[in-house]
Amino acid sequence: MNLRENWRVVLLVVFVVLASVALFAPTGSSDAPTNQVPAQSTQSAQNGTNGTNASGNNTTVTVQANTTDGPTNLKFGLELSGGTRIRAPLVGLTAEGVEVPADNATTLEQDLATRLNVSTLDLRVDSQGRTVEVFTENVTEEQFASALQASGYDVQQNEIRDGVTEQTLETAVGVLDRKIRGAGSLSGGDAAIVRSGGEAFVLIEVPGATRAEVLELIGDRGQVVVVAHFPDGNGSYRNVPLFSQDGIANVNPVQIQQTQQGGEQPVVPTTLTQTAAENFSDAMQKFGFTQQGVSACRTNMPNDEDGYCLYTVRGDGVVDGEIRGDVVYKAAMGPDLANIINNEDFVKDPSFVTSAPNRSAAQRLQLDLQAGALPAELDLDSGTSYYLQPSLASEFKSFSVVTGLVAMLAVAGVVFFRYREAGVALPMVLTAAAEVYILLGFAAAVGLALDLSHIAGFIAVIGTGVDDLVIIADEILQSGDVKTGRVFASRFRKAFWVIGAAAATTIIALSPLAVLSLGDLQGFAIVTIVGVLVGVLVTRPAYGDILRSVVLD
Amino acid sequence: MSRFEVQTIDYTRYSNRQLVAIPLLVLAVALAVIVGWYALTGAPVSPGIAFTGGTELQVSTTASSGEITQAFESRTPYEVESVQQAGSGNSWLVTFQATENSEVRQITSAAEDAGYTIESVSSRSASFSGESQRQALLGIGAAFVGMSLLVFVLFRTFVPSIAVVASAFSDIVIPIALMNIFGIKLTLGTVAALLMLIGYSVDSDLLLNNHVLRRSGSFYESTYRAMRTGVTMTVTSIAAMSVMTLVSSRFVFGIPLLPEVGIVLVFGLTADLMNTYLLNVSLLRYYKYEGIAK
Repeated sequence: MNLRENWRVVLLVVFVVLASVALFAPTGSSDAPTNQVPAQSTQSAQNGTNGTNASGNNTTVTVQANTTDGPTNLKFGLELSGGTRIRAPLVGLTAEGVEVPADNATTLEQDLATRLNVSTLDLRVDSQGRTVEVFTENVTEEQFASALQASGYDVQQNEIRDGVTEQTLETAVGVLDRKIRGAGSLSGGDAAIVRSGGEAFVLIEVPGATRAEVLELIGDRGQVVVVAHFPDGNGSYRNVPLFSQDGIANVNPVQIQQTQQGGEQPVVPTTLTQTAAENFSDAMQKFGFTQQGVSACRTNMPNDEDGYCLYTVRGDGVVDGEIRGDVVYKAAMGPDLANIINNEDFVKDPSFVTSAPNRSAAQRLQLDLQAGALPAELDLDSGTSYYLQPSLASEFKSFSVVTGLVAMLAVAGVVFFRYREAGVALPMVLTAAAEVYILLGFAAAVGLALDLSHIAGFIAVIGTGVDDLVIIADEILQSGDVKTGRVFASRFRKAFWVIGAAAATTIIALSPLAVLSLGDLQGFAIVTIVGVLVGVLVTRPAYGDILRSVVLD
Repeated sequence: MSRFEVQTIDYTRYSNRQLVAIPLLVLAVALAVIVGWYALTGAPVSPGIAFTGGTELQVSTTASSGEITQAFESRTPYEVESVQQAGSGNSWLVTFQATENSEVRQITSAAEDAGYTIESVSSRSASFSGESQRQALLGIGAAFVGMSLLVFVLFRTFVPSIAVVASAFSDIVIPIALMNIFGIKLTLGTVAALLMLIGYSVDSDLLLNNHVLRRSGSFYESTYRAMRTGVTMTVTSIAAMSVMTLVSSRFVFGIPLLPEVGIVLVFGLTADLMNTYLLNVSLLRYYKYEGIAK
């Protein structure tokens, strides 16, 4: 056996070996958190965990994007592992091409918040990107345009579009990723941006979780605002938002503190950012929290009689002077903290402890603080959701393997019946099998999460692969024996014209699927296209060489 | 070497007109079915939930189809659109028009309340699905145009190229008509299968054209050789797809997606056998004996 003459066979063997390595070699990273993007998603900005991930966090569990189980490194998507997939756009309107000087951004936000009667947290002015966004369902395009006009920006209604900016989408995906990874009850999953037509969607996949579990985690924005609530001296109360997640630089695991009364108090220790710390320190002194307000929150009283309190609010915080959202906890200014603030030392070590009524509320608060708030709510009514029971999914997995094998047997049967010669038919079936094997190796190597559409693609590859091998076999075995290598080479080239042309049509026919985001079908298209390429470039030429050694001997 | 001989038609006995008549008649009937369907339902083929929007719930229960409808309609204000047996054993697929998040919550809690095990829930909003439908049609159109252009580039002559394109067109139209007749809905799986057919079904046509136009030997000899190879190819694929359809169907394993992909490919490949060896062959023979001479 001459290696040089049989380089195509050598190439096939090399690919099979590579596929085996990809499929079976133990990977050190298999139990480390992976940033695997699911197959259906376009490349997304996964800004991961931006330094807010405290080490030793007792709620963080080891996560994997998609479950790899069994003896191989193959990853399986939701249709074969079970779990929940949610695809939804973000609620919001965007005004494009608005020239806002950077210095005016905050003023415009406050202006618009008053005009539209929304929280400033529902607005985002990006002077660099020249966009203004509003993240609520309650504002129409018309209202948004006229509010912008009233604030002195010439924006027409037709310059406002449905949807949010790329930046907002990326922030949302980062927050969702951190939420999914941080939630102790979930065993992994991730979020990504996908596009369908002109619209952008957030795609969330959580293996093993039910629809309700996922919605519990991502159903609201998880916005947390600390609000100063205090008497204004004229007989009424004021509410001033102090900081939200944006003002928190670092979040530590939940701790249990002993209260003076001997009870237990779950708390989330945090560190504020420099800006938030300065703002907080000034506000506390100005509003009297560090003087008459020390230890002066009567939590058992109604809101308009309770004194000087720091409210932890889940929701929009303050709109038009009123609390909007749920007050999770009311806390008083402690004497120690008041001292630190009065000595202007707070800014040097801005540690702030957020309390919660019980341990589970504290865990939830910790997760929300750490993951950050979603910039906009998910519009769950305009997307899709999918849940598959994990036990049923694992049935699909083993059944589809059997289906593939049976299809392979059927092909083998037809081929043996047609050629009646093991020397021709056996290599044919083995080559087609090698093609699928290499393709599986490819899937493992690139971390493609296999779904049912990929399985359909694999079976389609068996079909096309054998078709082309039949063309090669018939061309070479045609009347008149192959006497020399040259005759063989000429016939082989002729066969390849058809194979190349057929491969090109298949790739062209399926490329719309790979490009258009019909979501669930991208996998099918990718597997089939890669399969055709592997076939034409590697396995089918090798079959020609194998056949030559059969006929020339 | 003993060989299994593919049955061939003695083409010399029939005129081009006679040969073309059968595939054209079948194509006409198929188009009539599609047009009729369009007139009756407003769509050339009934779209499934992926393209209309709706909620599909798969539950496992020993209750009967009537009891399931009753159970949902007494607990929720939403009408049950259909109840079908799914998978093997006691799995049922229940569909609703309702898609809003709160509605889906009500439906799933109704299922739990009735004591059914939820095996799968999938819901797609109408707006999302409308966009998917537009993209699917666009995709099929683009794939067909792309394939046609490639065929014209490959052969650079009108009649042989149009023969391939016409045959591929019929290969798509016949399965769509059959989908209407057998009540198979247009799903993501069937769209994939139709696209696959565009790429798959031209293989045997390319082979035939290549043998007739680019090889030495008489027309009938070349056709015979191409047919022997081509029929083997198509029969192999039909075998693989029939087996996949059968094994993954709800009578055996009950795997979603695979049966619908398989059945549409079986329809299309079978149509391709007829189209390649009656339609394409006669157009090629016309081109070889009359088209060039003119």
